[in-house]
Amino acid sequence: MSRVLARAVVLLVFVAACSNGSNTSSNQSFSGTTIRVVTFTGPQIAEPLQRRAPDFEKATGAKVQIITVPFSDLYQKLLTDFATKTNSYDATVFDPQWMGDYVPPGYLEDLTDRVKNDSALQWNDIAPFFRDFSATFKGKVYTIPLDGDFQMVYYRKDLLQKDGLQPPATWDDYISIAQHFQGKDLNGDGKPDYGSCLAMKRSAQSYWAWISIAAAYLQSQGTKQGAFFNTDNMQPLTNNPAAAAALTVYKTLSKIGPPEQLNQDVGDSRGLFVTGRCALSLDWGDIGPLAVDKTQSTVQDKVGAIILPGSKKVLDRSSNQLVDCNATLCPYATNGVNHSPFAAFGGWSGAINKAASAKVKDAAFAFLSYMSQPAQSSVDVTIGKTGFNPYRTSHFNNMGPWTASGMSETAANDYLGAIKSSLQSPNMVLDLRIPQTAFYQQTALDTALAQFLAGEISLTQCMTQITNQWNSKTEEIGRASQLDAYRSSLSITK
Amino acid sequence: MAIIRRRGGSVSTTSISFPAMTLSYIALFAWTFVVLFPLYWLAVTALKTPLEVNAGPFYIPWRDFQPTLDSWHYIFFDLREDTFRPYTNTVVVGLTSTAITVLLGSMAAYGLVRMRYRVGYGAIASFVVALAIAVAVVVAGGPWPLGLVAGIGVFVLLLQTVARRWKRGVGNDDIAFWMISQRMLPPVATVIPIYIFFQQLQLLDTWAALIISYTAAHLPIVVWLMRDYFQSVPVELEESAAIDGASPYRIFRSIVLPLAVPGLVATFLFVLVFAWNEYLIALFLTSANAQTLPMTVAAQNATRGPQWWYMSVLILIMIGPVIAMAIALERYIARGLLVGAVKG
Amino acid sequence: MHASARAVSAAASWWRPMASRLDRVAGGVFILPAVVVILAFSIFPLLSSLYVSLSRLGFAQGGVELKFVGFDNYAKLLFGIDRPHFLGVTGPLTPIGIAVLLAIYGLFALLLYRYARGPNRTIGGLVGRVLATAIAGTLVWLIVNTVLTSGRPGTLVVTLVYVAVDVSVQYLLGLGLALLVVQHLPGRRFFRVVFLLPMMITPVGVAYLFRMIVDTSKGPLYPLWAHFGLTDISWVTNPWGARLAVMVGDVWQWTPFIFIVLLAAIETLPHELVEAAVVDGANRWQVFWRITFPQILPATITVVLIRIIEGFKIVDLPNVLTNGGPGTATESLTLHAYTIWRALDIGGSAAVAYMLLIVVTFVGISYVNLFRPRAATAA
Repeated sequence: MSRVLARAVVLLVFVAACSNGSNTSSNQSFSGTTIRVVTFTGPQIAEPLQRRAPDFEKATGAKVQIITVPFSDLYQKLLTDFATKTNSYDATVFDPQWMGDYVPPGYLEDLTDRVKNDSALQWNDIAPFFRDFSATFKGKVYTIPLDGDFQMVYYRKDLLQKDGLQPPATWDDYISIAQHFQGKDLNGDGKPDYGSCLAMKRSAQSYWAWISIAAAYLQSQGTKQGAFFNTDNMQPLTNNPAAAAALTVYKTLSKIGPPEQLNQDVGDSRGLFVTGRCALSLDWGDIGPLAVDKTQSTVQDKVGAIILPGSKKVLDRSSNQLVDCNATLCPYATNGVNHSPFAAFGGWSGAINKAASAKVKDAAFAFLSYMSQPAQSSVDVTIGKTGFNPYRTSHFNNMGPWTASGMSETAANDYLGAIKSSLQSPNMVLDLRIPQTAFYQQTALDTALAQFLAGEISLTQCMTQITNQWNSKTEEIGRASQLDAYRSSLSITK
Repeated sequence: MAIIRRRGGSVSTTSISFPAMTLSYIALFAWTFVVLFPLYWLAVTALKTPLEVNAGPFYIPWRDFQPTLDSWHYIFFDLREDTFRPYTNTVVVGLTSTAITVLLGSMAAYGLVRMRYRVGYGAIASFVVALAIAVAVVVAGGPWPLGLVAGIGVFVLLLQTVARRWKRGVGNDDIAFWMISQRMLPPVATVIPIYIFFQQLQLLDTWAALIISYTAAHLPIVVWLMRDYFQSVPVELEESAAIDGASPYRIFRSIVLPLAVPGLVATFLFVLVFAWNEYLIALFLTSANAQTLPMTVAAQNATRGPQWWYMSVLILIMIGPVIAMAIALERYIARGLLVGAVKG
Repeated sequence: MHASARAVSAAASWWRPMASRLDRVAGGVFILPAVVVILAFSIFPLLSSLYVSLSRLGFAQGGVELKFVGFDNYAKLLFGIDRPHFLGVTGPLTPIGIAVLLAIYGLFALLLYRYARGPNRTIGGLVGRVLATAIAGTLVWLIVNTVLTSGRPGTLVVTLVYVAVDVSVQYLLGLGLALLVVQHLPGRRFFRVVFLLPMMITPVGVAYLFRMIVDTSKGPLYPLWAHFGLTDISWVTNPWGARLAVMVGDVWQWTPFIFIVLLAAIETLPHELVEAAVVDGANRWQVFWRITFPQILPATITVVLIRIIEGFKIVDLPNVLTNGGPGTATESLTLHAYTIWRALDIGGSAAVAYMLLIVVTFVGISYVNLFRPRAATAA
């Protein structure tokens, strides 16, 4: 009762402030409130939050305290805090993949109504994929996207042009281009360089790279088809000709690259790519701003980006065979090639702790909304160190901030073109977000991939191992509830 | 009885032949190179731009690459508070917990060396029963303070009655082994219980939580190491002091501790190092205020891969004080400073 | 000065009985603080992680819940889906493997026989030794069947290999360095401080440092690799190469620990003994074996025990250097526990931790029983 009263008072003050003629952002309705926001230790993600917190305080009176913990342990730390009801954090900027673990126990605040009522947020400006899938769980909005994450292929435009090669449209093209450049000197330092640099290290980003490849073979009929499980019975899609094809591609690529590829994470592969040592790479949006950074890169204006390569053959789920694309099987194919851009990880997003007090929740929402509003975010996504990648339509249409950040017009067009074509694809692959996602991906899938690459297990052993481990976990938690969670994450409603 | 200080240099028992000396120096310099080269690499990495790290290897500043203080600037000026706050925490927690640990641990070690303990099986059984009752209270839904009180009550009661009849028990070596066995469980298995422990005490994110955890975690090491150093202190000295009427505390403080200074110093140094560098417990017990430096180091590997240049700076500034401490304390490990001619 | 002495004697009238009572309980006063702290702090984690290892974490409306599942988590490790990961994959025995097995089992049998026929045998001692031999025999069988065959070792065997190799190399190096540095060489204080340095770096930092060093494409060893034409080969993507990298890092970091303990032990020795021996005409080798070594044996045993216990918990180096890869080649038990713990399988993680606890306890007790009596007779 008293909470309702408090809310009413807040609302009254708010309305009063508005009716005074000042605009909403200059009232001090949150003075005296402190919002504790936790994220990982930056500069990425934390930097823009810390930089903009004083402005937000000036505008609203709410003090924002940014708490950072090492990236590798953020998930556990947050979960421990929620589960033990310690509640040391009011809001978090986190990976929406974790929603599968945080939403069902009721740790996160439902933001649906707030989002609807906040015009400044310009919700409809956010790209449909992030709005409808990434921020949403079981039809309700739980997060405010602050970053757009999906994987793309980067290539050395100068090298491909010189040798008259087209950017890869399929994974077979990717392999042949990589083979073409492997062992040649690509940056003029006299040392032999590499055809393709991928992050294949265990317990790092390896499984995302593999899913990026596998998606092309596995999902062809839109996001709701799902690329991990059969949406009718929760059977894993990891033991079929499509998975086998992707594993073969992956293993082939493990040999067309730096000798240490099996022990390299994205930090290594990015370092190699932006110092001109690789012809191709598969990565998130980060390479774009990195490649134009003169302190890090020697390949300014030599980098092109393109939507993830696809496949001419896709899995026919009724016969469990790889078959050639046709209009019914691949409705979204271009030139007979099915592309399935993969929203790996999902993009850092803000969420609010349900256990926080009403006023703090309001303030936290206002802060997250402030961070996402185009006025702020369109600048932040062009700055390399923020780690924010574009996720709003206005980010693509407004070239000003991009060229102001030092990207040439062509580079910006190239980079944004790849993002745009990925984002507009109705066949985007949503990353897994069901309870215990970490087990399915980081433990079961990642370990099996590492063992397969290292030659500890064969291709068929690898597929059976993943399938068995996934199935045993599903049984353990309950097949029906996992199926329900998977379908909800894909927003499938009967 | 008097302890006479003698200069270290005056005790030269063995003169060293020239070939032996040459061989010794070769071996010593070889290992010095092994030790210092990685540290040198750290130092030059701290002066490189990301580009130079990734395009490397470059070895010598000014010749192979143009050194820059960008990373140092980032750590000291851009991060500023985020570097200094954990730094202060590390220093306070490290020194306090080490001092307490070494004090309590030396006392226990001395006890284990010079006194005879006999913990009756009856006492152990009483403890187990009391513990079971305490656990039962908590599992049944009672608040933990009630469980604690109930457990202690039962324990004292049983100890005074039943346990008195059961005389056989475990001795000093078993106690020592029990202590060291507390370090056998990897921290990953204990960190969440420890977190809940401090959450209940409302001590999360404080120095106290870290100091208490580190003290408990490192006590067994101190006990074991100091036990051996005390064993090598001649017992005759203590006996004669006891005959002169000195109390056990006085003997411990004025005779035993000074004689075991090399051991104390060595033990102090690495307990300090352990506490200084601990990661997992610090990660869980702290959030905004009490974070320590190892987390700052680990945090340099985020979504963009390891930031070698920042990491190198952090590691260097982290070991600075410990090295200073080692240099200051090293002379106490030198032979003959305190130990030596003892006439009594 | 005089006044204060009088004040003390005045106070002594009530203090003296109090003090003598305090003296009588000195034993308790010395040991109890440590015991209480350790007890208070170890019982709860120990019991709760035991319970966790018998349960499974699940999410329910409103929070998490622990569901009791009995020995499921252990069964999974020993017989079930995680067996290849934990215990490894065995291959057909090779002649070398059979020879090694026979040799070690023969040695075990001989030792048991000698004890059984010896004068000091007791029933308890015999049962303990048979049990210990059985466990050790099983571990040896596991090692031989996974390492010396076409199979692959699981995390248990990898950890045993780490501990065995690391601790022995560290001990030999540490002892050698300590002996070199106690000599009266000019500059010895410089070496003493320098040799301590690796230990002072935070373990995570050492791991990252070694990741820079072992990188053969942009690390400092590149010219060496290029010189031998090895640029196409990386040692960290080969199972034994990667394990070697982990072990090199561990030796580099922890040799100083053994070095400083032994150094302090040697420095605490009464040197009259050495002087007497030298007067009697003993050479350096004899002095070491007859005087120094027996005198530092207690410290040796302690430091090796501590290193064994800590070595079993190795995690940062494999975690950062290779993340346990290639495949699962460098994954230690603690890393195994940590990896599945991060994926919320805290029950399975606690089970791995308890298996580790059992192995370390076994190794520790056997080790202490093997060496403690010898130290007692030597000292």
